[in-house]
Amino acid sequence: MFGKTVSYGLLWDFAVSEAVSEDQRWILSTMHKHGQELITLLWRILGNEQDVCDAYQDTFLQLAHYEGGQKPKYVKAYIFRTANNVAISMLRRRVADRRKISTAVINGKHVTSPAKELDSKYLQESLRYYIAQLPAHLRNVITLRDLAELSYAKIGRILGISAATARVYRCKALQILTIWMNKEEKL
Amino acid sequence: MTGINTNNKCKRIRVWLSEAISRHIGPDAQWLQSHITNCPRCQRRYLSYGKVNLAISAVKSQPHKLDLLMCANVQTIGVLKHSLRRAKEAGKLKTIRPEPKFLEKYSKYTSSALNVAACMTILLLMKIGVFSSMNMFQTQGQKVIQKYYANRIGDDLAEEIFSKDTKVTRLG
Repeated sequence: MFGKTVSYGLLWDFAVSEAVSEDQRWILSTMHKHGQELITLLWRILGNEQDVCDAYQDTFLQLAHYEGGQKPKYVKAYIFRTANNVAISMLRRRVADRRKISTAVINGKHVTSPAKELDSKYLQESLRYYIAQLPAHLRNVITLRDLAELSYAKIGRILGISAATARVYRCKALQILTIWMNKEEKL
Repeated sequence: MTGINTNNKCKRIRVWLSEAISRHIGPDAQWLQSHITNCPRCQRRYLSYGKVNLAISAVKSQPHKLDLLMCANVQTIGVLKHSLRRAKEAGKLKTIRPEPKFLEKYSKYTSSALNVAACMTILLLMKIGVFSSMNMFQTQGQKVIQKYYANRIGDDLAEEIFSKDTKVTRLG
């Protein structure tokens, strides 16, 4: 009797686990469908391969645990917004760490030279730094438009705004970035 | 049906408008370029905007390793549920490599495809008799004009003129 109960229990567990795996297969298909685009976005925001892998992993873990394993209504929007947020947090942490180190080394002095200005890597890093400082609504649009290269219509759908609003936000973001990057030059 | 037509019309007009506007007020507009060359303040602004653009282009042009997607998938699948890790799709994802998009893949064939499409259209037009109807339309028109001339200058002269014309056309 007891043996039968155990075997039924095992069978039940197996059936439940199979059902769960069947239910969550969409995570793998999402990975297959949007993985490449997501990697491109993360790479352009972070510029470091290990960080990209970590942010990608965090994104899909959050997706897997969304409301107890439920599938979000608009998966693409969810993963792009999550990836964006994860990457920006990582970038901010990195910038803070670097600042600590550089303060310790050069005693808080900001070093800029014409040669450095032309350095592509320096340009990229300063752009990433300033993008991380932008207000969230502007930052989301500029990363999705200029780094993920999505259309305004898609960005609108992801962020829940109209395409025209997305255009306006991008324009504002570019203006702010221009001012900040110019100020840095004057320092 | 009318709603769809109006929508399409609206869409077309919007596209034309934005094209026209960008031609006149876009960054490549002639008047804007000539103003920038003479205005130091705008030059500075344009340059600073160029710096952001340059940085964005630099970020975009930086390539990553080909196996980055594969590595990210392996790392992510490693922390998912056991049942998902064992799934068939997971195995495929662990060895996946980035592939160019459909349009990028076949962009080199665009011109050939357009040529083929043009030939097909001509064949289709010939098949449905558009060209023969055009010929018929032309001969009917010619007959009307011949009749007009016949009324004015007489049958003999009109016949002479139009028979020559037809001969020349045929020879041509």
